[in-house]
Amino acid sequence: MQINYGKREVSCKLVYYGPGMSGKTTNLEVVHQRVPEKSKGDLTSIATEGDRTLFFDFLPIDLGQVRGMTTKFQLYTVPGQIYYASTRKLVLQGADGVIFVADSQAEKIKENIESLTDLQQNLDEYGLKLEEMPFVIQWNKRDLPNALPIEELEKQINTFRAPTVPAVAATGEGVLATLKLAASLVLDRLNTKEPGAATKKAAAPAEKPAEAPPAEKKEAVVAKINADQISRSYFTQYCQVQYRLGARTEEVDDFKKFSMDEKKRLLESLINHGLLLQDAKKRSIVVSKEELEVQLKEFARRFKTKEEMDAHLAHRKLSLDNLRNEATKNVIIGKIIQKVIPNLNEKFRITETEVKEYYFTNSAKYGGKSFDAVKAEVIAGIKNQRKRELLDEMFKALRRESSITIFEENL
Amino acid sequence: MKDEKLKDRRLVYYKDDFDQIEKLLDEYVKLSNARCVFLIDKEGHLVTQRGISQTFNAATLSALVAGAFAATKEMARLLGETEFSVMFHQGRKDNIHLSLVGDRAINATVFDEKTTVGMVNLYSKELTAKLAKIFEIAAKKITSEPAFETGYGDSVKDRLDDMFKE
Repeated sequence: MQINYGKREVSCKLVYYGPGMSGKTTNLEVVHQRVPEKSKGDLTSIATEGDRTLFFDFLPIDLGQVRGMTTKFQLYTVPGQIYYASTRKLVLQGADGVIFVADSQAEKIKENIESLTDLQQNLDEYGLKLEEMPFVIQWNKRDLPNALPIEELEKQINTFRAPTVPAVAATGEGVLATLKLAASLVLDRLNTKEPGAATKKAAAPAEKPAEAPPAEKKEAVVAKINADQISRSYFTQYCQVQYRLGARTEEVDDFKKFSMDEKKRLLESLINHGLLLQDAKKRSIVVSKEELEVQLKEFARRFKTKEEMDAHLAHRKLSLDNLRNEATKNVIIGKIIQKVIPNLNEKFRITETEVKEYYFTNSAKYGGKSFDAVKAEVIAGIKNQRKRELLDEMFKALRRESSITIFEENL
Repeated sequence: MKDEKLKDRRLVYYKDDFDQIEKLLDEYVKLSNARCVFLIDKEGHLVTQRGISQTFNAATLSALVAGAFAATKEMARLLGETEFSVMFHQGRKDNIHLSLVGDRAINATVFDEKTTVGMVNLYSKELTAKLAKIFEIAAKKITSEPAFETGYGDSVKDRLDDMFKE
């Protein structure tokens, strides 16, 4: 699988496997006929004179933009005949899912089993296990009089209890169902295992309702920052995560609704975030694993045990990735400020008079406590204020250099 | 362990690396005077293409190039090599030059009589070295790219359902 954030593209590879003449190429031909013209590429087949697949058949399908990512599936078949073993192996390389097209006829049972063993061996050489992969079996040629009953096939071939689909590929029956099933198994992996996506399914059972409201067919854009666009669903997700990060209560709502003003405020902060990332890229600022760890440890220090922290995150319906994103942002802010603002340390040098002045102007806040008692607090307060001012200054500078468009109607 | 393995098999290109890659490819096309260049994963997925290439079906070309490379690997093995790092196919008008980039990608250059295989070979060597370095660094760093949106997988399933309404 290739995930290309540069082109915003995901490309998955599905391989049709099975003994010779079981109908793998026929499967691909049916898919090719049924896919709308604009979504399909050419069906490429490298066949010998006898019309049998020599190298592989190949069919690319383009699903177009899905939630901001152009999504493609590439379908391959392997040659079935025994003597093309090495070709089969190379086609399997990088497969995200395998569809085994089995021939239901009684006399083919041995060939099916041989092919399945061959598949396992080849996967093994790549360090993969069939039972751990998205894997679907298609019982093909159900219409033939000598087809074995499905229970019999299940018993003899499907020792993994893989999901199966009965089919008559020649008439197209079951072909699309097989493909859809295999594709959804691959996609389920993407839902749960993608490093950046929500990974805390088990810890946060109420995650589902927190998703963005049903997206329109065409992704609405809420803002543009230079060349980058912020989609509405991304914005919605950002709002939810920010709300959960900053929530003062232990439990959080499944889906928090925001007023227009709140949305505008959140969008401004997301734009700042976007500007930061763009600027960091320009300055080739990279956040290292170690720097990130320091930030995360800082967060973890607020809790006595790891369990306590996990429980806190679960209550807030936050994942570690949410934290990681926040931490990355903080590290980047730190680095940019150091680059943009010269003699940074000087700005944080605070004199005794300043501290006193601040104490007296904000005396109400300190509730009559003596100066010495709250001195440390006062200094922290001044530092925070300076930091806010510096951030403001920095974002103003970034905004001056950027073109930002907001589409309020899409909020 | 299982998840780690899965992640390893996922080829991820981050935006900033990708921009750098495209810049290098643009320079390369200019220097070598080739028609176009395709950067292809060993698994057959196209990473990107630069230069003038409207007439090619890039997805199929990528699948075939990756297949051809894997097939010659078998050939190499018979000769006692681990793999061949460069391949060249000569046509009447157009030629294609393939070279391995690190251990994960292939650079396929299409060129005609405006340049020579020697020039392409020379510049592609430089290019592959630079690209290999980017990949190496990319493999080590963490960036803050936006993740997949929640429900991405389900949306793709809906799209498939739409496409294959029976």
